[in-house]
Amino acid sequence: MSHGVPRVGGEGEGGVASSQDKIKARIKAYKELEKDVTDRIKNEDYSNTTFQLTSTLLSQNPEYYTIWNHRRLLLQHVFAREFSTSSPDNPTAEGTLSTSDDHADTTAAQKAGLSPSQHEISLLISEDLSSLLPLLKQYPKCYWIWNHRSWLLTKATTHLPAASAIKFWQGELALVGKMLALDSRNFHGWGYRRTVVEAIERLGDISMAEKEFEYTTKMIKTNLSNFSAWHYRSQLIPRLLNERNARREARAKFLDGEFELITSALYTDPYDQSLWFYHQFLMATLDTTNPQAGIILSPCTNSDRKMYLEQEVTSVREMLDGAEDCKYIYQALLEYARRWRDLGGEVEKTDMKEWLGELRKLDPLREGRWRDLEKVLGLEVV
Amino acid sequence: MSLVAGPGRGGTGSGQLPDELGLVVQKHVAYIQSLDTRRDELESHLTEHLRISGIYWGLTALHLLGQPAALPPEEVIEFVLSCLHDNGGFGAAPGHDAHMLYTVSAVQILAMVDDFVELEMRVPNGKMKIARYIADLQQPNGTFAGDEWGETDTRFLYGALNALSLLNLLPPQRKDEPPLINVTAATDHVKACQNFDGGFGVAPGAESHAGQIFTCLGALSITGELDSFLGEEGKDRLGAWLSERQLDDSGGFNGRPMKLVDVCYAWWVGSSLAMIGKMDWIDKKKLTEFILRCQDPEEGGIADRPGDMVDVFHTHFAIAGLSLIGYPGVMLVDPA
Ligand SMILES: [Zn+2]
Repeated sequence: MSHGVPRVGGEGEGGVASSQDKIKARIKAYKELEKDVTDRIKNEDYSNTTFQLTSTLLSQNPEYYTIWNHRRLLLQHVFAREFSTSSPDNPTAEGTLSTSDDHADTTAAQKAGLSPSQHEISLLISEDLSSLLPLLKQYPKCYWIWNHRSWLLTKATTHLPAASAIKFWQGELALVGKMLALDSRNFHGWGYRRTVVEAIERLGDISMAEKEFEYTTKMIKTNLSNFSAWHYRSQLIPRLLNERNARREARAKFLDGEFELITSALYTDPYDQSLWFYHQFLMATLDTTNPQAGIILSPCTNSDRKMYLEQEVTSVREMLDGAEDCKYIYQALLEYARRWRDLGGEVEKTDMKEWLGELRKLDPLREGRWRDLEKVLGLEVV
Repeated sequence: MSLVAGPGRGGTGSGQLPDELGLVVQKHVAYIQSLDTRRDELESHLTEHLRISGIYWGLTALHLLGQPAALPPEEVIEFVLSCLHDNGGFGAAPGHDAHMLYTVSAVQILAMVDDFVELEMRVPNGKMKIARYIADLQQPNGTFAGDEWGETDTRFLYGALNALSLLNLLPPQRKDEPPLINVTAATDHVKACQNFDGGFGVAPGAESHAGQIFTCLGALSITGELDSFLGEEGKDRLGAWLSERQLDDSGGFNGRPMKLVDVCYAWWVGSSLAMIGKMDWIDKKKLTEFILRCQDPEEGGIADRPGDMVDVFHTHFAIAGLSLIGYPGVMLVDPA
């Protein structure tokens, strides 16, 4: 699957022969390396050399999932060996995968409450995590690299005391923060962040909801148009308020604050989809037909709902001034008007007809959808 | 057989086609056939970890183009069976480890080519063996892992249900036998992946993504819960989200808000719209034009975007997208 790779024209006349030789040589080297690694694993050669060879092969082809499996097989073997043989007078055999056996290290390990084998395992994991960083930066969308990191981290969790394991997860949180600063939409990055946060919460028996909420605030302040950060924020809020044991008053204040934040952002750029996404989320928390949104205001009566709908329709209508060609505004108006009506409110049909008319003009691609909406709203010309 | 690698070179850089240009069927057929003979290109070796899926994509595209025999069925079966492991799983190519994704591709191919006849002949109880490999990957929370190393993803869940259904070994398909998997747990997991915007993410809490929406709808459709779970309001919300994926300037789809268009979403978004009966909420003509502009009109094959390198993955999903729209000369496909 190639994404975003430009199609190239034919090679220059003179270069064809020599570049074909080069390609042949590269294929040969690659196939030899592949065979070498595969044979070694078949022969259960779990040496440092084999480990290094998997690194070389993976740096040429990080999508080669079987080689990642080989690498884990090898590490697993080394971990098991550590536990079965490790004792002060049983040094690691020549050529096997191990880290420096510095005695100062060992003392530090004892202080941290690690046995010598746990110490060795922790060093191996930490080395593998850092040696894979350049590859991750080069291929931030490669499943298998993220996958391998999370495997290493689960091994740390299994083999090490919680206090040591949590340090690894905290390191990953810092890393994923950096990765998301580079690409705020990286799907793998956000998924990894969820896994990391869950692990820290579990190991440390703490909640990260407040901290993560602050993180989304920071991300949004850096760039308002940060869709994934708005999404993450929407996921955190219901839990955050529950953990705060927030009463109705606090919840109402919170909701008002969020409306203020998003409304001022929308006034700045009503054409930004990520902002509308969040506005829709806030409105959806007030919509009884949409349980997936979670709850902010509680208890919440129909008159509360109508109050917010009225407030938001008024404010969204004002956004039209200077942005008459912004289809998201008409979409929001029609959607909120529909909910207003479902709650027994009156809506001027002429207003709705006008909004729908604008929408059709601005967005002819989705004409079928607007036609269905017209029916649902009962605006058809009879 | 090698079917994944893109061509080394070829095609016009500009990707500008005259409006009247249609689907260059014969060129695409030739392109897919040619993938078998590209062992002199490094790319063909670097994509070996996708080979069996590549064959599935190529073969399906050929079926849709009405030329199923353009890849010799015996060779296809031979290759697929050479990827089978003792545990019942398939790797991407001989010597590659078994994985859910490639097991699903293998099952899809074997179902398409000869309805598992050759498999059952050569491997005693072959279908059940494969089904057990898949079933063993189900996790306590209902989701499925990709392999023994544990990564989970709604793609694997859909793949598992899809493959078991093709094998005719889903619990409802063999009511008198003990069930191989927990269908309720699987669908509960899918439901937990839904967001307020109507879409589905890769795990509970994850942002909606067109690819994941396809897999989740596909799973619900296989278990027969699509209509009851979504309801009319749910379909409207999801349909709205999906229809917004079509972009005004190009007519193509993106996979998430504010991302680039990509021809493969013609399938992920298009089939999702079809499954909820909202195909009319997008402009099919504009989408068709976009897909056709992604073709390499000279060498065949279809790229993610006009002017980019073609590959068999995008060739397949583009043609499947055309099939959903009912493009003349392309066979109709089942959206799930
Ligand atoms: Zn694509």
